[in-house]
Amino acid sequence: MSYIEMKNIYKVYPPDVIALEEVNFSLQKGEIHSLIGENGAGKSTLMKILYGLVHPSSGQVYINGNEVKINSPSDAINFGIGMVHQEFMLIPSFKVYENVILGMERTKKFGVINKEEAINELEELTKRYGFDLDLNAVTSDLSVAARQKVEILKLLYRKVDILIFDEPTAVLTPQETEQLFTEIKSMKEMGKTIIFISHKLDEVLEISDRITIMRSGRIVSSIENKNLTKSNLAKMMVGKEVILSVTKKPIEPGQIILKTENLTVDFKQSKHKFLQDINIYVRAGEIVGLAGIEGNGQLELVQTIIGESQSLNGKIYIDKNEITNSEIKERRFLISYIPSDRKKYGLALTATLTENLSMTHHLGNKLSSFKYFINWTKAKVLSNNLLNQYNIVARGINDMPKHLSGGNQQKVILAREFSLDAPFLLLDQPTRGLDVGSIEYVHNVILKMREKGKAILLISADLDELLSLSDRVYVIRNGKIVVELDPTVHSKEEVGEYMLGGKE
Amino acid sequence: MNNILISIIRDSFSSATPILLSALGGTFTFYANVFNISMEGMMLIGAFFGVLGSFYFQSWVMGFLFALISGVVASLIFSLFAILLKTDEFLTGIGMNMLALGGTTYLLRNLFNVKGAFISPQIKSLPTWDIPGLNKIPVVSNILNKHPFIVYIAIILAFFVDFIIFHTKFGLRLRATGEDQETARSLGINPEKIKFSSILLSGIFSAAAGTFLSLGYVTLFSENMSNGRGWISLAIIVLVRGRPLGILLMSLIFGFFESAAFSLQNINIPSQITSMIPYIVTILALFIYSVYKEKSTRSAKKEVEKIKEI
Repeated sequence: MSYIEMKNIYKVYPPDVIALEEVNFSLQKGEIHSLIGENGAGKSTLMKILYGLVHPSSGQVYINGNEVKINSPSDAINFGIGMVHQEFMLIPSFKVYENVILGMERTKKFGVINKEEAINELEELTKRYGFDLDLNAVTSDLSVAARQKVEILKLLYRKVDILIFDEPTAVLTPQETEQLFTEIKSMKEMGKTIIFISHKLDEVLEISDRITIMRSGRIVSSIENKNLTKSNLAKMMVGKEVILSVTKKPIEPGQIILKTENLTVDFKQSKHKFLQDINIYVRAGEIVGLAGIEGNGQLELVQTIIGESQSLNGKIYIDKNEITNSEIKERRFLISYIPSDRKKYGLALTATLTENLSMTHHLGNKLSSFKYFINWTKAKVLSNNLLNQYNIVARGINDMPKHLSGGNQQKVILAREFSLDAPFLLLDQPTRGLDVGSIEYVHNVILKMREKGKAILLISADLDELLSLSDRVYVIRNGKIVVELDPTVHSKEEVGEYMLGGKE
Repeated sequence: MNNILISIIRDSFSSATPILLSALGGTFTFYANVFNISMEGMMLIGAFFGVLGSFYFQSWVMGFLFALISGVVASLIFSLFAILLKTDEFLTGIGMNMLALGGTTYLLRNLFNVKGAFISPQIKSLPTWDIPGLNKIPVVSNILNKHPFIVYIAIILAFFVDFIIFHTKFGLRLRATGEDQETARSLGINPEKIKFSSILLSGIFSAAAGTFLSLGYVTLFSENMSNGRGWISLAIIVLVRGRPLGILLMSLIFGFFESAAFSLQNINIPSQITSMIPYIVTILALFIYSVYKEKSTRSAKKEVEKIKEI
């Protein structure tokens, strides 16, 4: 009998987003069980259901064969299930031991904390599991790895049997990762059961007894970690799906519009380089895709091009103008930008559509002949034209974006940005979260801009979209461009292997 | 001269007590991250109801009890708005203070038919303590003995509050709530409950401070008799970042300068200037403190950088 059994789990977010579909997951006592899959495959949702943070639409959870209802994290803790999140839940000014006991304090008379007992118990725990941790240190002075240990210690103090780690190595250096693995193994020896969520295949192969692979809300397979290779796993993760049919006119690319030279970005606080020697170019009339698992430097590249963060080294050119040190305002004459977070960076949700549509246009002299003034009559004409041209469904130009559907919000941004007539288009996840109809519309508009001779850099987590739209694809991993591929020659599986490091 | 000095030091304890008490209450809300500025109003309410209870029952015990109950009711009103209805804490505090000032003045005029101040032999003041042993030491006895008992209690409370905040389960949860409410919630702590307790404690302490004003320091009630002491206590809390023992020290310093200023009026310095002294000292203390803090954080940063370089 399995220790934990999750049967027929469905999770539907209304109206029609299916996060999990017919998921059956089982966990044996004392194993290290990895859960792998692309972003949005449903790993975290499944584990959040087990931890009581998310409630399933239907399905049952069994512990040792008995059906249980887990309604909250504290229920989960009582059932012996604990989770180490990516964001730590710690009080910065507290000492380590205070953070561990908070919420489950041992007390003497009159609610006085029994510090000696707590320290003794925690010392015993750290010794048993080989944690190198100063219990009296102040938490805000600790490294990320040490804070993670505090989180683990919190769970061990609460006597959980199952520890769920949500991508624990994402924030660790290789040495710290190794140490975490030693600790995880010693927890296993002490009889704990571990669930390890990751998409780093090396790590998964190194540590797991069993691996469950998820893809678009379903479990693809659950196998023992024997004779597996990275390329096996990568194929199962990415899967073979029909590439969306997009009709692209053949266009001979023109001159180089965007060019980066040895672009390097890092932060002084960390030795980690977010971007390292990026040399890419995009020519007029071509769509260049940037493929990669999220968090491998895409965000930093976008921010550096648009000017939100400064590069440490290297140069950026657009249309032969060097913009490496230009202000965002100056860059916006050369770049049309679709940000990935449309509500935060793309729109002013409670301003009118006129205001939203004429933003950025106001920088030039298109809307007014005087600086510092806007000719609202002109702005309204512009907005009305864009509203019609892009078929934005709204109650007119005085409507607010917060009343619009996701697809129409995105259309507002597309309308504004594509009418800027900049030579370079920076598209960061232009179809994320949209329904099928809107996605098709966005794809068509992007292809039209390509025909107009714009240079387009497309970043997307959806490999099908990326491969069907792009003329060339760069793969980014750990802040480096690993390879440049031709989507007409290379398959989705191959791209996936490069993204995951299965192929160098 | 010697006698003047002794009386200045003696009076500094009485001047310090209301500020000390209300700041000790306010430090609970400070640690719970409730932006509580209503100490001024709660002190005034406590002062009024202390006199009311003492006058009607001709007993200081009833006065004290009335004051504490009024403090509880006032903090219930504050919590109703700030916690349950989630109104802005700052605006709620302003409202409380205005209600306290207008309400006590209104009640004073209606119940006692006086304007300005209400004095009556029926108001019984708080008893003073004659401490055995202490009363035999010459100078010390003159300074420390025979204060109203709240003075001694307030000083003991400073240590007690320090212990509660840093050594008990309640204190741990209080600080956790104030620093990161959501983390506290994730560990099964109810932050609203903790915040409510802190407001309640603040109300009770401030009301007690008010009773000392109207039944200990003097034996009367006058309009707006808290006269900014609640604000001073807020300044002190922020100044020492809530540490109860720091509050004790700062209140005594403030109390000393207040009583010194009072004595200086006798030697031909305009009273307007002397009464500024305590406030000027507070501003100076703020300045010295922030310069010191700036230095210590800078050196701490340097250390961290050094460690990183290694």
